[in-house]
Amino acid sequence: MNKIGPDPDYHDALLLHDVDGVSVIDGNLGTWAAFVRFLRAPFLSAYRHRDLIWVILKRELDERFKGSQAGWVWALTAPLISLAIYTLAFGGSAVLPNKTAAKSAYDYSLFVFGGLIAFNFFAEMAYRAPSLLQEYAHFIKQTLFPAEMLAVISTLRASAYAGIGVALMLASQLAFTHTLSWTVLLVPLWALCFMAFLVGLTWFLSALGAFTRDVSYLMMTVSPLLLFATPVFFSNEVLPYPISILIYANVLTGFVEIVRDLVFFGRLPGLGVSAWTFFVSVTMFWFGYWFFSRNRAGIADVL
Amino acid sequence: MSYDADTIIRTRHLAKAFPLYADQREWLKQAMFGNFKTFSKSFWALRDIDLEVRRGDSVGILGRNGCGKTTLLQIICGMTRATKGEVWVKGRVAPVLALGATFDQESTGRQNVLIAGAVMGLKRAEVMAKFDSIAEFAGIGAFMNQPLKHYSTGMRTRLAFAICAHVEADILIVDEALSVGDVAFQRKCLDWIDSFKKTGTLLFVSHAMDQVRRLCDRTVWIDKGRIREQGDPHQVIRSYLQAIRSERDDVRRFSSSEQ
Repeated sequence: MNKIGPDPDYHDALLLHDVDGVSVIDGNLGTWAAFVRFLRAPFLSAYRHRDLIWVILKRELDERFKGSQAGWVWALTAPLISLAIYTLAFGGSAVLPNKTAAKSAYDYSLFVFGGLIAFNFFAEMAYRAPSLLQEYAHFIKQTLFPAEMLAVISTLRASAYAGIGVALMLASQLAFTHTLSWTVLLVPLWALCFMAFLVGLTWFLSALGAFTRDVSYLMMTVSPLLLFATPVFFSNEVLPYPISILIYANVLTGFVEIVRDLVFFGRLPGLGVSAWTFFVSVTMFWFGYWFFSRNRAGIADVL
Repeated sequence: MSYDADTIIRTRHLAKAFPLYADQREWLKQAMFGNFKTFSKSFWALRDIDLEVRRGDSVGILGRNGCGKTTLLQIICGMTRATKGEVWVKGRVAPVLALGATFDQESTGRQNVLIAGAVMGLKRAEVMAKFDSIAEFAGIGAFMNQPLKHYSTGMRTRLAFAICAHVEADILIVDEALSVGDVAFQRKCLDWIDSFKKTGTLLFVSHAMDQVRRLCDRTVWIDKGRIREQGDPHQVIRSYLQAIRSERDDVRRFSSSEQ
């Protein structure tokens, strides 16, 4: 958005001044000041529009189960059923994919469940992001809607469902093994990084998707394949040497592995994996924001 | 650049082009090789618009379909950016470009008021405080708690306008919004705009000449993206009506051209 006042951080900023389609108010900053402004911009925007984010988020959450009597019970049922099915299907295999003996018949299902929660969180955003701006085309074209907040809102919505999954994973871990490691306290940190990554990804994919529908079809094709390129059903400890490193190029590997370490194995994730995943999250977040803001003006015209 | 303290909107040599592609695939070529060659023809929706609006002015904007009225308003609101030229707007803008753009059929009137208010930039507490007043202005009674899909077109318009009427803005931009609704409600809206004019600035687009005459103290006639005439409403409306009586509906008016 180019509505920035004399003090750009002031929430009721009132001045619009563009020359040849470029905001003049941004122009007279030094490189460093402009960079700091850029880093802070998404947070300022989120803070400024907090009421709007909340209202839209609430509507999106309501919408999912509107007209159903059971409502949010469905949100709990789906992961519960998938957990039950994995237990039935894989419960018999007493050896974990990383060749350690399973402690109980439920181990493998818990192992898979943890990976799937992370993967589904990603998949939900990957499917929705390319058409996100089309969904809200009326808002973007006809009102002063902060389009950059749509990525935040949709990620928050997906987080609500992922949160249900994580809660269920913790509950079943506790029910089956009767212990929870202290490392589960680090799960919120993991969630924060993952959300930053997904918001950035959504900015990038939604901006791209506004211009061409191909992004939508591409993600529909790629996402299911990605499930098998991510150690969800297996552990990358069973992979041969070069592949076990290369698999980290699929950034989801880190997220899957970390949540599994924290909850299922109850140990701290490796430093290398953590650093790489953190780096990827932060980079994706700012890159996505940069890409989105750069194309913001064009998006309103092509929708 | 310094401006008169009373100037609230100012545009200089404002122009807006939309790219027209002969083929959908040309877009990709443009995105990839746009720095070297242009693959599209431009449709210039606006050319060389010089407009100055001072605080407290009420400006009517006339013109035929596709002449660039809405594009101009969108640029002033900051929804889209001009291709060339300068735009300078000082103040909080309340755009009424499409009534009920944010409305959701499944949600109740009450929920929609919350959404629309938030989109208009009102804080949640402000919407809550003004809620009764909005409901009273809309005058749709018990339907406030019904999903919007059960509303008539008129009721939707009433609710949408009621929300707009409660946004405290410096500049109100109304784009052909009052054409729905019965005469009594239209009069209520016009009365409200009258009272808004005492403190605010109005940009008003309508094809109803009597409304323009009543509300505006200045009128701008835009023709094919350029300002053709501006000044006293009665004078401009007279020449506008005269012109559209003699012009036929040119089928080639929306085609691209070089500037």
